[in-house]
Amino acid sequence: MQSARLQSGHYGNVAYLTSPVHVSAAWSMSDSNTPDALLAERVANRDQFALEALFEQYGGAVKAVALRVLRNEALADDVVQDTFVGFWNAPEKYDAGRGSLRTFLLTIAHRRAVDIVRSEVARARREEKPPDPDHYDVADEVWTRNLAEQVRNALDELAEGEREAISLAYFSGLSYVEVAKRLGEPEGTVKSRIRSGMKKLAASLSGATA
Amino acid sequence: MTNHNLLHELLPLYALDSLEGDELHAVRSHLHSCDTCLRELARYSAVTSKLVPDEPAPTHGWERIASAIGNGADIPLGRASEVIDLEEGRPRASRAVTLLTAMAAVAALVFAGIALAQRSLLNDLTGDSAVIAAAEQAASSPGAYVGDFLVDGSSIAQVVLTEDGHGFVVPTEDLEPLMPQRTYQLWVITSDEQVISGGVLGNEPRASTFTWTGDVSGFALTREVAGGVVISEGDVVAVATEA
Repeated sequence: MQSARLQSGHYGNVAYLTSPVHVSAAWSMSDSNTPDALLAERVANRDQFALEALFEQYGGAVKAVALRVLRNEALADDVVQDTFVGFWNAPEKYDAGRGSLRTFLLTIAHRRAVDIVRSEVARARREEKPPDPDHYDVADEVWTRNLAEQVRNALDELAEGEREAISLAYFSGLSYVEVAKRLGEPEGTVKSRIRSGMKKLAASLSGATA
Repeated sequence: MTNHNLLHELLPLYALDSLEGDELHAVRSHLHSCDTCLRELARYSAVTSKLVPDEPAPTHGWERIASAIGNGADIPLGRASEVIDLEEGRPRASRAVTLLTAMAAVAALVFAGIALAQRSLLNDLTGDSAVIAAAEQAASSPGAYVGDFLVDGSSIAQVVLTEDGHGFVVPTEDLEPLMPQRTYQLWVITSDEQVISGGVLGNEPRASTFTWTGDVSGFALTREVAGGVVISEGDVVAVATEA
């Protein structure tokens, strides 16, 4: 079979051939007795109904986290599509032994949203149409109200600095270095606050259903 | 403190996607070989997922996803595998075939003169000027193949292939940049419907060159994961055919 090569925009650069993408095997399918594992298995068997069921169940949360980070409907919709299509293409990356499908999908969606936030392209698009701060005050309240009571209580138990650092990191898609700049605090302080806050949350919420 | 302990302490930050640069790469690399940290990360990931309330699935969201996977997102181009239609309980054409059919349909429209335009390669082009100049020269050479990738009537890129196998892809300003983890990828469609990777164009493509010495019936442009794939897993952006 003949092959084609595509080079970069400059003459003289070495062409590179396309190659398969190998993603970390951190998530692999196992523990096939859980409902999540069964759904993932059905998706692996190219069952669109299983994927649609997953979308109906988790699509709202996936969109919510993407929108919270990106504050842009169109970009959030792209993330939702990428998350579910990505799972359809590689369901074997999910390991039921390491957490729920909801957690897995939200992790993927959040990571993609953060990648977008940190890209120049998205920065420019967001600057074109900045979010309405009043709208997001209300949205934040609704968001918090919709959390499970146990989660709200766990968040209330955090020190203000811990809660603020975690919130900026997770919901604004900021690196801890950016959080430190935003808050005018030393990086080490922010790192410690995020670490201690997350440890408290993990202790409070272990066993709570997601 | 050992390297493991240092990286273990970064896991809460990793779970929030708040690491960057060397620390991010170090944790990722460590997670490939440390089950203890992988288990701990699962705990923190479960915490972050609890910070997101359940909400109704977005309206029309499924249609987009169904359309994406129904257009061959999961099935490699050119690989014919039988898929059972759950509604009908009978085998249906593979998505690879569906994709080729879709390409053919677009090609038919193009041949019907609805969309395809052959024009000066200097019109509305962006990218490396030396490549563009070479592409323009190639387009006017005898027997050269020239086509447009059209979306909604606008050219997002032009492709040129000379008789002696020198190819050019020149994006226009209408080619939307992709997320950093995605890339455009060029595919060559041969006369016997083989679909072969032509190369990776990146998420913000510039004018590029490629070589191809076989027969050609058309070209396709798809969106794929960064780095590209040997067999397409993404969606078809546009199909170009010779004017």
